[in-house]
Amino acid sequence: MPAIEVKDLKRDYIVKEGSFVRKKKSTIQAVKGISFTVEKGEIFGLLGQNGAGKTTTIKMLITMLAPTSGVCKVLGFDTFGQEKMIRNRINFVFGGELGVYRRLSARDNLKYFANLYKIPLSIRDKRINELLDLVELSDKADLRTETYSKGMIQRVQIARGLLNNPEVLFLDEPTIGLDPLGAEMLRKTIIDINSRGTTILLTTHNMYEADKLCGRIAIIKEGEFLALDSPMAIKAKAAGETALVIEISENPIGLKDKIAALDGVSAVTLDTIEDFFRLRISCTTNGDLQERIISLVTPRSIKSLKNEEITLEDAYIKLVRGEEK
Amino acid sequence: MNSKSVILTSMLVQMKQTFSRNMFKFTLFIGPILHTIILGEMYRNSEQDSFIAYAVLGAGLLNLWTCIAFSSAGDINRERYSNTLSIIFSTPADFRLILLGKILGNTVLALGSFLLTVIFATVFYRNPIFVNNWPLLIAAFLLTVLAFIIISIFVAYLLTLSRKTEIYMNCLDIPFALICGFVFPIDNLPQFIRFISYLFPPTWAVRLLRMAVVETSYGFWENFIPLIITMVVFSILTAWLYRIIFKQTKILGTLEMA
Repeated sequence: MPAIEVKDLKRDYIVKEGSFVRKKKSTIQAVKGISFTVEKGEIFGLLGQNGAGKTTTIKMLITMLAPTSGVCKVLGFDTFGQEKMIRNRINFVFGGELGVYRRLSARDNLKYFANLYKIPLSIRDKRINELLDLVELSDKADLRTETYSKGMIQRVQIARGLLNNPEVLFLDEPTIGLDPLGAEMLRKTIIDINSRGTTILLTTHNMYEADKLCGRIAIIKEGEFLALDSPMAIKAKAAGETALVIEISENPIGLKDKIAALDGVSAVTLDTIEDFFRLRISCTTNGDLQERIISLVTPRSIKSLKNEEITLEDAYIKLVRGEEK
Repeated sequence: MNSKSVILTSMLVQMKQTFSRNMFKFTLFIGPILHTIILGEMYRNSEQDSFIAYAVLGAGLLNLWTCIAFSSAGDINRERYSNTLSIIFSTPADFRLILLGKILGNTVLALGSFLLTVIFATVFYRNPIFVNNWPLLIAAFLLTVLAFIIISIFVAYLLTLSRKTEIYMNCLDIPFALICGFVFPIDNLPQFIRFISYLFPPTWAVRLLRMAVVETSYGFWENFIPLIITMVVFSILTAWLYRIIFKQTKILGTLEMA
């Protein structure tokens, strides 16, 4: 039995628009018939742009929202109708600054949620202390969370998500707001709890994170899956692509747009690094495209030029953009 | 054991959260003074009975109602804005017990506010408060609090289904106090409004409460029986409503801001 089973899952929202007198109802399809399974012990990634349907999918899986139609099962039970069989065996973490009681301390927040998750009193305080240590909040555990930074609140949420040692953990953009060290800590935690058998469903905009953590990934766009495979296989879908990296000392106006407009270029990123600029261009290896790109750059400004292996981000952009074209 | 723990911890969390809000402190400490002065001046030249029944008890009830029902309704909205409403709803704990704990938390604070009103009225107006029947006063007071709690739970459930909480809260506060006769007898209301008054348990509970402190023209049973009937009806309605909201909030997605 898979940990998560989703078949032809759909979710509509009724939206009311207009004035008090002339109110119009319209239906928005947030999820349009997706299907996937997640095996026990797997880390499964759900990638997509904002509004693609990732959070709606998670909310249906954690029994917060009802599906409009389709199968939505966690640990063999329907998420709508059999909530009681699921809720104490799963947990979830949403990214962002909300979701905690701001006028309570981190410890009081965790104590309260431990009660709601029916954690026996005999082990409650010990577990809370361990989790506070894990998220590195022990020294500030008794301060009101309204005094916390965004990253600290996120860490309280992570601790809350682990309170009941869930069999399945849903993480919706859990590294939002975390600094690089905090994000690295969370990635280690995810690997650690997964190694103890916890199934994880993760949504993230961080492709490096998804590539590093997930065994399989689904890319969702406008409520539909564009791809569902291992990160390596998804990268292979971008076969025939390369990432041309050019470091230049000057950045002429419109250079990025000129390169992006060339046929065969799927994505261009421009980063400023100290006193130079770094262009990363995802493009095909066909014909003379690379020469045409280089010809747009002033030759004397080129500091270095190399081809890099395609990343998950390149493949993701190619897939999402490909659909747009 | 766990049900008790969920109610108790929800109650304590609610009290901690609520007490740290300045708005609630105002309702708790300043509200009794303002209500007592306004109603005290209104009834200053009336008979001693009316002063006690409508100025003192009225101010206390107004505050009790504001703290229990109005604040409990507001808490649904606050939880919705802070995204904790959907989280507590999705925990293994029974949402009914969580909500009950929260309303009880507000009730405990509200009782303090009621007491403050009575003390302030006695001291400020140098008007000793006589009680005709202490056992009836205690029983009627407990029934009044229970009636307020029942209505609060009913309203809180309703508010989980809608995001327009502020509108309903404002409809609830003063109009309800007037309809149920907290600050003047419902006999002063037009007949068709009185029929609405009769539907709500606080109307009957408040009349019983008044019987304990002043001479009234009505008897015990003619208020007690309707009180019990309306409380039972509202309890049944609330239980039925929960079955609906448990499904509908997930279908409509109203536990979070849009």
